[in-house]
Amino acid sequence: MPGNVVRARVPITFSYKNRVGHALEQYINGLKEKKILGVKCPACKKVYVPPRTVCGKCHKPIDQMVEIGQEGVLKNFTTAHVTIANGEITDVQQPYIIGLIKLPGASSLISGIIKTSSVPEVKTGMKVKAVWKETTQGDYNDLAYFEPA
Amino acid sequence: MNERVAVVGYKQTKHTFDSPVARERMIYELVKSLFKDLGITRDDIDTFIFASNDFTDGRTISEVYTVPRIGSFMKDETKVEADGLNAALYAYMRILSGLYETALVIGFSMAGSEFRVPLTQAYTLDPVYERPRGIINFYSTAALQASAYMKKYKFTDEDLARLTVKNLQNANNNPYAARKEPTISVEDVLNSKPLYLPIRQAHVSAYADGACAVILSSKKAAKKFTDTPVWIDGVGHSMDTYYIGDRDLLGMEHLSAAAKKAYKMAGIKNPKKEIDFAELHTNFASEEPVFAEAMGLFKPGSGKDVVKNGDSGIGGALPVNPSGGPLGANPINATGLIRLAEASEQLRKEAGKNQVKGAKTAVVHAQDGPGAQLNTVFVVRR
Amino acid sequence: MKRNVAIISVGYNGRFVSKRPDINIPELIQPAVDTAIGKTKLKHDQIEAYVVGNMHTFEGINQPHLWASDHFGGSKKPVMRVATGGSTGASVYQAAYYHVASGMYDVVMAIGWEKHDEGDAQVGLMGILLPEAFSLFNFGPDMSEDRGVAGLGGGGSTGGAAFQAMSYLTKAHAGIEHIDRVAAMMRSNAAKNPYAHLQQPGCTEADIAKTPIISYPLRYGHTCPTSCGAIAMILVSEEKAKKFGITDRVAWVKGLGSGASDATTGNIIEGQITDPAEQYMCKVVAKKVYSMAGIKDPRKDIQVAEVYSGFSHQDLMWPERLGLVDEGKSPEMLDKGAFAIDGELPLNPSGGVTSTNAIGASAMVRVGEAALQVMGLAEGGHQVQRKIENVVAHGWGGLFQFVTVTVLGRTPVKK
Repeated sequence: MPGNVVRARVPITFSYKNRVGHALEQYINGLKEKKILGVKCPACKKVYVPPRTVCGKCHKPIDQMVEIGQEGVLKNFTTAHVTIANGEITDVQQPYIIGLIKLPGASSLISGIIKTSSVPEVKTGMKVKAVWKETTQGDYNDLAYFEPA
Repeated sequence: MNERVAVVGYKQTKHTFDSPVARERMIYELVKSLFKDLGITRDDIDTFIFASNDFTDGRTISEVYTVPRIGSFMKDETKVEADGLNAALYAYMRILSGLYETALVIGFSMAGSEFRVPLTQAYTLDPVYERPRGIINFYSTAALQASAYMKKYKFTDEDLARLTVKNLQNANNNPYAARKEPTISVEDVLNSKPLYLPIRQAHVSAYADGACAVILSSKKAAKKFTDTPVWIDGVGHSMDTYYIGDRDLLGMEHLSAAAKKAYKMAGIKNPKKEIDFAELHTNFASEEPVFAEAMGLFKPGSGKDVVKNGDSGIGGALPVNPSGGPLGANPINATGLIRLAEASEQLRKEAGKNQVKGAKTAVVHAQDGPGAQLNTVFVVRR
Repeated sequence: MKRNVAIISVGYNGRFVSKRPDINIPELIQPAVDTAIGKTKLKHDQIEAYVVGNMHTFEGINQPHLWASDHFGGSKKPVMRVATGGSTGASVYQAAYYHVASGMYDVVMAIGWEKHDEGDAQVGLMGILLPEAFSLFNFGPDMSEDRGVAGLGGGGSTGGAAFQAMSYLTKAHAGIEHIDRVAAMMRSNAAKNPYAHLQQPGCTEADIAKTPIISYPLRYGHTCPTSCGAIAMILVSEEKAKKFGITDRVAWVKGLGSGASDATTGNIIEGQITDPAEQYMCKVVAKKVYSMAGIKDPRKDIQVAEVYSGFSHQDLMWPERLGLVDEGKSPEMLDKGAFAIDGELPLNPSGGVTSTNAIGASAMVRVGEAALQVMGLAEGGHQVQRKIENVVAHGWGGLFQFVTVTVLGRTPVKK
């Protein structure tokens, strides 16, 4: 009878080189210049962040990059007590806030880390602004976090 | 073309966190015993449809070695790479076309023991924005949805804990459930490990090793299998946009559209009255009120009252997950299909301690993707 | 009573190529969808449902259609994902067929793609066997579970295919030169297909023979490239085709079917190694499909074949298993020019899979090319000029074990 199935580990990690694509490349280049970019649909005028090459509603190709405001309103948030990396859930020493933020000029909410002096201080509806790394190098970490405006 | 399709057979494994057998033997024994129960052989099945996934199986082309294990050797076979309810949807379409009379659908994974669920979930995120940023994942998405619901409708952590306990009590009476916490209290849930608040460890579904097989048939062929077929009278499926910042996390227009389509097919005008119970694929306890309301089962924002009045309990106005739902067992790829099997069992009055009295019409739901981006809905009747 | 279904449009994202570092997966899919819609009078919103698929371990993105939802138009629409290895594209198309044939939808889009420049296809393919390989290394071979142990000897998928090629050559009394010859024909056919990847006008047997052996009898020149590309097709019901007034410009789905065998890369069953070149399943499925399509003699009634051949010997093997040629007679047919675009049974006028292989798209490309041949719309000189009534399209996947067959025709099967 079956039982005590023996499991073998497969000690191989596949590696990939996924392409960023046209729209996101411009977004990342924008971060280097401390700009947040979105794309504007010529038909419905919605502005999407992160940018993409099509409007999901109008099915129109879009390539008009527009700059988004950097001070906006926190719409929703969760207090994270863990991080997830490589499929492992790891505790963090200091809980942190993940928020969805409405920035002026964008139809999409943008997700980001909110840093405040204390977690209970965070409220939906509060004003937050983007904080950049001193020296940007063209990656997602350039936009370091958002803080109360 | 066939006009009506029925569930004529179903069976699930006793789900566990560490299966004593390998996946091939697990599905082989499941299907073999289902055939035995029904007194049929593999030749009574016209088409076989797998629901599995290369990432959850940890191998390329996941069904390469499973084909003969379910009796589909030298038979008509295909695979849906989504939850098993989508495979059932495909089987339903194949039978409706009139080209097939019977179909076997099977979903399975070893989510309890063989892979880290958050890792396969990470691979489900796009590789160039969300994955490298490390902010949005299945857990934080669920937390943002829960947080939006709780703030908007004054649904408290205690309400969420009560709802969790309701499901775990149901799971405790479900012989197939993997997660058995008979003594868990509201306080236990409130004090469980915080992940992405309001989501705590106790709210997370029980990723488990397990499988579920369902046999569908045309009306004509149903007699061969059973005297008590369960009819699939409505189906719908719909997908949302990808980025969480573009979604309506509470309205879930896509889920609502899928449900409306299924209700329309089934001739249901007022789901609150006409649906007797629901089996929902919730990866987190907090999803239950959001999904149920998007599907028109309760008034938007009524979650607090539903919990207070016990409306979604087994004796309530509209029981939700009388099986305990995925909080009791979530063998990815099988989870939505299990909802169909559980609903069929209820409608045939075989649900034992969890039996919903007088149940005649049920709604069944499955999801895929972060924050239930893709949803599938069935209406089934006895 | 069955519901007739027609393919009304086929769109590619552009020419299939090795690398597209400039775009990501959703951006690869989007132009194929737009092209397929652009060839019709349909608006994007008239697509009622989508069926999609690729082999997602190649790019390391689980269910990438979730990410690509806006790019193909799937947001707020029914979307189903189907995947069966190499036959994925055909399985996706068949699911789209059932979306319409079931009566649930009237206008459905099928999309298949692969972007091979984002991962390593051979490593991805080894992923089929890795769990078996490591249990073999750790615990020794487990013959009771008849695993594909022989395939482990080869590496990648050429290792497995070499067994099949050797067996085929032995059965057909053919030599490696026949494989060289058919490979050369496919590369020159590809030169007449503006979308094909490896276009080699006037490619000769000698050109192929110069390439190194990978695993005898298969040479580098007998293997498929790894391509980036996407295909989208629109399927509609007969009623809609009538409503659109296009019933004479479509390809009707007359018969279709799929089947699965066990992993047949040299299985050991009762002490015997099974023959990977037998492909009994293909014969069974083909027979069923022809009967559904009302085809009594496939040799007379089918004018063109698009077969899925990841390796050139399969271009000889599949026409036999599909009942288009007597067993063992493909080399003879090849030698007398019967498989040429102007021959008696044009085989892969598109150049086939050995010229272009974006895996998740490839089996659908066979169906799409068959549809284009029926509609008379194959571009760049690969359209067969003689009158076409029926075309057969074939796909295979897994460890030489899944098979899909479709017959498309100029006139629908009478109800």
